[in-house]
Amino acid sequence: MPRMRDYWLSKLCFDLQDPARVAEYRRDRDAVLEHYPLKPEVRAAVLRDDVAALARLTNPYLLRYYFAASGMPDAEFIARLRAGALAHG
Amino acid sequence: MAELVGIYAASHGPLIARDWQRLPEALKKRLSAAYGELGRRVSEARADVIVGLAPDHWTNFFLDNLPSLCIGIGEEHGGPPEPFMRDFSPNPVPGDPALGHHILETALAADFEPALSYRLRLDHGLCLPLSRLALPRLPRIVPILINELEPPMLSYRRCFAWGGLLRRAIASFAEPLRVAILATGGLSHSIGEPNMGAIDEDFDRRCLGAFERGEEAPLIEILEDGAATAGNGTHEIRNWAVAHGAASGRGFELLDYLPAPEVYVGCAFAAWRLDA
Repeated sequence: MPRMRDYWLSKLCFDLQDPARVAEYRRDRDAVLEHYPLKPEVRAAVLRDDVAALARLTNPYLLRYYFAASGMPDAEFIARLRAGALAHG
Repeated sequence: MAELVGIYAASHGPLIARDWQRLPEALKKRLSAAYGELGRRVSEARADVIVGLAPDHWTNFFLDNLPSLCIGIGEEHGGPPEPFMRDFSPNPVPGDPALGHHILETALAADFEPALSYRLRLDHGLCLPLSRLALPRLPRIVPILINELEPPMLSYRRCFAWGGLLRRAIASFAEPLRVAILATGGLSHSIGEPNMGAIDEDFDRRCLGAFERGEEAPLIEILEDGAATAGNGTHEIRNWAVAHGAASGRGFELLDYLPAPEVYVGCAFAAWRLDA
């Protein structure tokens, strides 16, 4: 079985390419997340900015868009990806 | 009949546009020179139409509906949606429905199965190189978007075959059009992966060497290994493989190669040798 993507997480990342949606997300994360029926563990990973956990659930480009939109600097994003890869192989 | 007047490739990267003012002077100068030289050659070819081979950076397609390859046959295409590309002109981008439709029909008649679109949005993948070429007038664009972001994807063997199909389709188009091909993307880069920012110069140089010599079998081996070692951005070299197939594997002239960690991309620029 190939690695499958989490559809609604991916959809959230995809939609956050829209600057208006990004502004809304930064203002009220919970309100935006209401539109996405995320599994509880995925929603929890989103709320704690768990790069490594989300990396296993979506496309890497979409993940990059998401964290760029949510305001995480590239250096921190990359450091968290590497820490996740070291922890999980 | 239409004539294939040039086949080119250039890398792209959003930071080349978004962070341009912050890039080191030496890098800006070298990138400008490479895009400029390519632009000079494209201008000299006096193309009426450019067939643009590019990835879709989650602009038109999503997990709802993700074609392996899609041909844009509309009268016009949307310009880039990225805020850092807002100055791109012309927007909308004029297309060439007659040539696009002919490529589509030729493909289907030859057992290739592309998707079609009457209006694609062209993101920085194609529009960044197009803007940097600084052509006096942008030719009409027939975009061919290839899935290079989400596995599984077209095999490299099939990309070479698509190149041959494209060459035959252009040669059999009844109007006296001058057609160029521009492939964008690659070489090594990694986005959203643990080795994001890394450039695999050894991979890039082996890859470029094989393209220069026109060798398909070793190229396929190098390219298939690339995504594991040189980053997910190497999938975009599929566009180069299609261009290579369109040039009958005659090899290319490398205009420049610069590993540019500042923009996360091994940047390469090339022009293929055409049939004598």
